[in-house]
Amino acid sequence: MGGMHGFGPVVVPGCEHVCEEPWEARTFAMSTIVGIEGIGHGGGRPIREEMSPEHYLRASYYERWLWSTEQRLLRKGTIAPGEVDDWVDRLLAGEPVPRRIDPAQAARDRAATSEVSPLGEARETRFALGDRVRVRRWRHAGHTRCPRYIRGVEGEVTAVRGTARLPDIGPYQGPVEPVYSVSFRSGDVFGPSDEPGWTLWLDLTETYLEAA
Amino acid sequence: MSVDHDHVHDDVAVRAAALEALLVEKGLISTDAIDAVVDLYENDIGPQNGARVVARAWVDEAYRDRLRQNGTAAIAELGYGGFEGDTMVVVENTPEVHNIIVCTLCSCYPWPVLGLPPSWYKSPAYRARVVAEPRAVLAEFGLELADHVEVRVWDSTAEVRYLVLPMRPQGTEGLAEEELATLVTRDSMVGTGVPLQPVAAA
Repeated sequence: MGGMHGFGPVVVPGCEHVCEEPWEARTFAMSTIVGIEGIGHGGGRPIREEMSPEHYLRASYYERWLWSTEQRLLRKGTIAPGEVDDWVDRLLAGEPVPRRIDPAQAARDRAATSEVSPLGEARETRFALGDRVRVRRWRHAGHTRCPRYIRGVEGEVTAVRGTARLPDIGPYQGPVEPVYSVSFRSGDVFGPSDEPGWTLWLDLTETYLEAA
Repeated sequence: MSVDHDHVHDDVAVRAAALEALLVEKGLISTDAIDAVVDLYENDIGPQNGARVVARAWVDEAYRDRLRQNGTAAIAELGYGGFEGDTMVVVENTPEVHNIIVCTLCSCYPWPVLGLPPSWYKSPAYRARVVAEPRAVLAEFGLELADHVEVRVWDSTAEVRYLVLPMRPQGTEGLAEEELATLVTRDSMVGTGVPLQPVAAA
């Protein structure tokens, strides 16, 4: 969304809240547990990007998470189409949400959130610190981690962060590549501004870059 | 926390409850597992963790150096790490440089040190504008920077998460690390604010 216009102010009433309502926190937790327990297919982030733009922008934040969680469960075959709708009807008819207690699962899921998978160590890199690079212009269908606003812009390699799989294939199943920190000048990205110049720093996978 | 079915007041809340009901009915997710993860991110994982990292860096120059060298490892020294904190980079504010973090593509945020992001961080307005007019956005937060200060906007586009190390406020020389931590606000670690002054924290 970088550089888009028309969204209005950032600081608005209620903007400090992490969650407005209990269902949002529970949706976050369900989404997280679906991943930990391996009962969904695909990642929430790329699936949320499959929402149509008007649906994406109209939906609240955790509404998107709810949608992607349901999709992941459907794609794995863990739930069947219509099963959530059936439960909506049952709840509206007054039936309570069933409860089930499983302390082992609670402990397992809680502990799993402290697991980490850091970037790999970069040994061979195409670009070196200080190199001038340009972000490739390309039309890509589907998930990417190369923002539209930075394509075609020239910047400088300032760090090698490590290695990761190219997100665009799979997604997150592409070849293992170096990830660079690249700095850009605001004027090169957005043109003249009333504000004093600033700099933008992005982490970009090698495929996104070409020598400038 | 449980779902209060007498007060579900919109379709999304009902749908979220329906999904929970379905997964519980199928025996796939337990009520207490959901409760445990909710509790974890409401009570244990939040900006109080990042504040401890910052306060330690303010009083311990060797620790600050380790944070600069390897943010992930230095943060792990204090016991913090996990989802959305796999590779951490700490960016340091100075009289010449002010750092701000954003995720223009979604809502990437350093959970282990800051918890889950506030609404404004996830809003289209913040994601769109902070890269294109950072000082206008900072002004909405009440933060005005001198013209000579270089604003650096860090867009979290890969699996790297950022934490801003704000400058230690003036007049805090006599404060202990624990007292300093109370001055470190969430926004000061995102870059949309600065730490509290000791008077305000008293």
